[in-house]
Amino acid sequence: MNFPCHRGVLILAVIAVIKFSSCSNSGDTIDFNTQVRPILNKNCMSCHGGVRQNGGLSFLFPEMAVDTLDSGNFAIVPGSTKKSVLIDRIQQQDPELRMPPEGPGLTEEEIGILADWIKQGARWDNHWAYKPPDPGIQAPELEHSELSNPIDRFVADKLNKEGLAPSTKADKATLLRRVSFDLVGLPPSKEMADEFLADNSSQAYERVVDKLLASPHYGERWAAFWLDLARYADSQGYQKDNLRPTMWLYRDWVINAFNQDMPFDQFTIEQLAGDLLVNPTEDQLLATAFHRNTMNNDEGGTDDEEFRVAAVLDRVNTTFEVWQGTTMGCVQCHTHPYDPIKHEEYYKVYAFFNNTQDSDKTSDVPNAMLLSTPQRDLKARYEQEIKKFRASGDTVNNTYQEALKKYFSIKPLKVPVMKEMPADSSRMSHVFVRGNWLVHGDEVQPSVPEALSQPLSENPSNRLELAQWLVDPQNPLTARVMVNRLWEQMFGRGLVETLEDFGSQGSMPVYPGLLDWMAIQFIHQHQWKFKPLLKQIVLSETYQQSSSVSPELLELDPYNRFLARGPRVRLSAEQIRDQALAVSGLLNQRVYGPSVMPLQPEGVWNVIRHVERWETPKDPENQNRRALYTFWRRVSPYPSMMTFDATSREFCVSRRIRTNTPLQAFVTLNDPVFFNATKVLAVNMHRVSDNLEKQIEYGFKQTLYRRPTESELQSLTALFGKTLNVYQQQPLQVTEITNGVDIRTPEMAAIINLAAVILNLNETITKG
Amino acid sequence: MKLFEELLKKESEYFTRRHFLRQGSLGLGVAALASLMGCKNPLSQSSVTRYTGSAHNLVPKAKRIIFLHMAGAPSQLDLFDYKPLLHQLDGKECPQSLLEGKRFAFITGVPEMLGPQFSFNQYGQSGSWVSELLPHFTEVVDDVLFMKSLHTEEFNHAPAQLFMHTGSPRLGRPSFGSWVNYGLGSENENLPGFVVMVSGQSAPSGGKSLWGSGFLPSIHQGVEFRSKGDPVLFVSNPDGVPRNVRRAVTDAINQINETAYQEVGDPEILTRMAQYEMAFKMQMSVPQATDIGDEPDYIHQLYGTEPGKVSFANNCLLARRLAERGVRFIQLYHRGWDSHGSNDFENLHGGFKTRCTEIDQAMTALVKDLKQRGMLEDTLVVWGGEFGRTPMQENRQGKTNPFKGRDHHGNAFTMWMTGAGVKTGISYGETDEIGYDGISGKIHIHDLQATLLHQLGLNHEKLTYQFQGRDFRLTDVHGKVVKEILT
Repeated sequence: MNFPCHRGVLILAVIAVIKFSSCSNSGDTIDFNTQVRPILNKNCMSCHGGVRQNGGLSFLFPEMAVDTLDSGNFAIVPGSTKKSVLIDRIQQQDPELRMPPEGPGLTEEEIGILADWIKQGARWDNHWAYKPPDPGIQAPELEHSELSNPIDRFVADKLNKEGLAPSTKADKATLLRRVSFDLVGLPPSKEMADEFLADNSSQAYERVVDKLLASPHYGERWAAFWLDLARYADSQGYQKDNLRPTMWLYRDWVINAFNQDMPFDQFTIEQLAGDLLVNPTEDQLLATAFHRNTMNNDEGGTDDEEFRVAAVLDRVNTTFEVWQGTTMGCVQCHTHPYDPIKHEEYYKVYAFFNNTQDSDKTSDVPNAMLLSTPQRDLKARYEQEIKKFRASGDTVNNTYQEALKKYFSIKPLKVPVMKEMPADSSRMSHVFVRGNWLVHGDEVQPSVPEALSQPLSENPSNRLELAQWLVDPQNPLTARVMVNRLWEQMFGRGLVETLEDFGSQGSMPVYPGLLDWMAIQFIHQHQWKFKPLLKQIVLSETYQQSSSVSPELLELDPYNRFLARGPRVRLSAEQIRDQALAVSGLLNQRVYGPSVMPLQPEGVWNVIRHVERWETPKDPENQNRRALYTFWRRVSPYPSMMTFDATSREFCVSRRIRTNTPLQAFVTLNDPVFFNATKVLAVNMHRVSDNLEKQIEYGFKQTLYRRPTESELQSLTALFGKTLNVYQQQPLQVTEITNGVDIRTPEMAAIINLAAVILNLNETITKG
Repeated sequence: MKLFEELLKKESEYFTRRHFLRQGSLGLGVAALASLMGCKNPLSQSSVTRYTGSAHNLVPKAKRIIFLHMAGAPSQLDLFDYKPLLHQLDGKECPQSLLEGKRFAFITGVPEMLGPQFSFNQYGQSGSWVSELLPHFTEVVDDVLFMKSLHTEEFNHAPAQLFMHTGSPRLGRPSFGSWVNYGLGSENENLPGFVVMVSGQSAPSGGKSLWGSGFLPSIHQGVEFRSKGDPVLFVSNPDGVPRNVRRAVTDAINQINETAYQEVGDPEILTRMAQYEMAFKMQMSVPQATDIGDEPDYIHQLYGTEPGKVSFANNCLLARRLAERGVRFIQLYHRGWDSHGSNDFENLHGGFKTRCTEIDQAMTALVKDLKQRGMLEDTLVVWGGEFGRTPMQENRQGKTNPFKGRDHHGNAFTMWMTGAGVKTGISYGETDEIGYDGISGKIHIHDLQATLLHQLGLNHEKLTYQFQGRDFRLTDVHGKVVKEILT
């Protein structure tokens, strides 16, 4: 909170006679959300909130806060500070009576705010995120400004007020790398880079953006983002962690949905309730595998019902975290400590999900026999071909035989899907007393929490209606939560930093107007489509700024909350791997398909019981697929990705916390996957020229799309000399390091180490 | 090396300034920075990577923990909790009162009682009961504390192991060792603060989640020291990259990075430079720490170790070496204790007996060795399974299992512990005449966790991390420190 009058105010002991602080300017209207709620949340809610209502008082629900206390008095009497016991208690000198009982107590100023608020009628206000954004919201009009992108107008307005200036535009190479990683998760291709860097027209950047948005790799990049939320994995979790060898069809569904730019409302409805649509298509059924990514426990002696219930709870928590930025986990055991969601309301949401047929069975029933869209497309293509040959009577042709073989090789697979219980055997849902699934309280019917449903009239009554309710244009949270996630993917930090919590304990948006404006654009202007929104973001000047930072700006705004500079973020686990393969030319660019098992050190899977083996295919093609196709086993995920903060996919995770550890250096320097890419890059460097400088230049251009600077050249030339010397004296080391390489000279050995440097630079693993 | 020191200094200055400006009284100070295995940069991770609250309001007795987990759950009734009455009841039907309303993992119908399968004697000044399966361990009974009345709600392996090591039976919570490193940081800048070593048959059921960091930053997760191949994944240089070449490569990377830092001003670059330097150091310190070949013969004889072999004994000796080097949390798993009596290895006279032979000498040696080095003063050693076993012979679908074996049982089981302010030479807590329920001195898993954190100087109620809108703790909303077992 930023009250101007707070600056420089030290915490003062509460003095006996309170003169209401001049800072709060009696007469100015007190704003509940920004001024009162933070005081209550910080000082009062832990004893007078959702979990505890000591003395019969809770500040969570307005009707309870003005109700009679156990003592017969009233904590708050709107309009009268005298009759409001609250004001007396926070000013008490007697430590036995003073509230809060611990700590230094409220400041004079905080007391003033509460008193003014009560005088003004103690009006409650709905939490900002529960109020729908204003559909008419406009970016501020600025004088002397030609900024056309509204995003930039929001930012410029704020920067003016903070006395900050925007940064200059990032150089073209940096910008190209940035936008390419952001939109397709890969470094730009050489052709794209050459074309863009040579194109000085004003349209050059937009052309690149359009190309990237149309690339089939776009779907892969955004699927990688969505799969953390969907807690997608190729195994069931828990002790046995049995494999789910067909779940990849769901991943293909996600990639395809992003590539088609499926509107987010449809994307939502199909994943949450595709099975309940009238005559659902195969794809709509496949989409429901979203909520079959919950875990199964197959350990001998476990109670299936216990883990069925655990899966349903996870569906509740995941749905509300993903679409509503609401932390339902709290409400499982008691009323929410800070947000106005009641304990029984959790189980009303639970009731939406409690009637599917799955029940923690090893076979993952219910399943459906399905093809993914790309498989179906492929099959249709072969069918066309076959028909063509048949029409021409040319059926002894090899191509025909091949097509025939391929056509029949594409077989539907059994995929876990959602399926509702028949009406006559549907389950009753109950409140679990204190969250204990064995202790049933009152029976409940499906319903959404009241605090979240206010702007919407119709209460949903089944899973399909719940999905529709989530994407109702009136729903205040869904669009905000989603655009905030996209923003975080681009800028490394959400406008609301707590992507997973838009409740009153989450962070406040730094740019509330920008967030709301984007939400409204997303719903109405773009009809829930991602691509035009992303385009709007990356075309903004805000996004295109240089990410360099002066010590002064760093001091003022260490986290870049005000956006006076461009984003600078370490690449994700997937991107780091994909980049190494791409710049060395090893990356298999094929889109879609089953999970693969790239090189992994022996014994990594030994900690898991039972028979499954990690078997790396012999063909390098399948070893070098994009990271998102890597087999994801929950109890033992792929080690090099975990080192770069990938998650084990046991639960929905909104934010990967980025770490910076020495183990990461081991991966990019020593992991055979990376070292192999290093060698291949070195071979390519060696191939371009006999001249060392040219070789280094090639390595830099291939990786960073720029020439090395003088000092970089010097460092690498010196390194070359030093290592060449070592290798000339140690031929055995040359033999070892050039294993698998055609040229087996000390020079080659030295160049491999140059390539290692280039692939390990901070700039290389960062989106600058 | 000079570059590295300069870096640290520069970084320290930078963060010290930050520290006063933004981090408050317990922010990321210079000490935390120097401990590179702890967390680093508050700019990239806000203050979340390292605990900065007020949980350290206690005087620590222990600096580190060595936790010997017997995965699969050994039978307390055949090792430490001697129940002569069970001899008389052997083969008799289990009374209904023990079965009513009780959920077992496998037992169905009415099982028979099962007497102790091995002979017991009393040892030491304390007169502690130990069965014939642990002859070496009888020598140190006066140096340890037996807790006879541990209890847990979980009765399946994976949930119970998760409960023991993360405080919750579900996947996804941070493990004990990661909480401790989050709370205290590392003591050694060249080694991870939380090391895990696994030996024995089959895997611990809870998998790697047992040493995961859950929602804590991944830097706090346990690092598995493997018995075969690289002790730490990818710690070795690729073939053909000698150490002097790697030195030169690291220097070149950091030179170029430093220039970049001058230009773009991102402090994350400084952190990365320090981490590359640290990685280079770890390539020396990890193999040094894990090479037990340099231990004298008498130590090998004491532990029963053979360099190069995968064994619990080797891991015990490694645990001592890591403890000497300041690793905070050393977690050993010895697997294969499950003894249902369902086949010729999962039974008390099969796998169970073999496991005892595998651990007896080594765990005894660990206690003796730490004691003779004065390290028991500030090292906690904890031994036990995830739950206990039933006083009944296991049956399934009304048929008694073909071999002698017991089902999972969480009501009462035994663990032992020693070092760092723990009372020794006593047995705390008692079970009833057949070892079915605790009757006094009951300790819940959350109590044990609270007590261990207490000895490390951490208040279990205050060591919290906010995730999905609520403050999480290792002990959930439970746990109390068992003062009675502390000196």
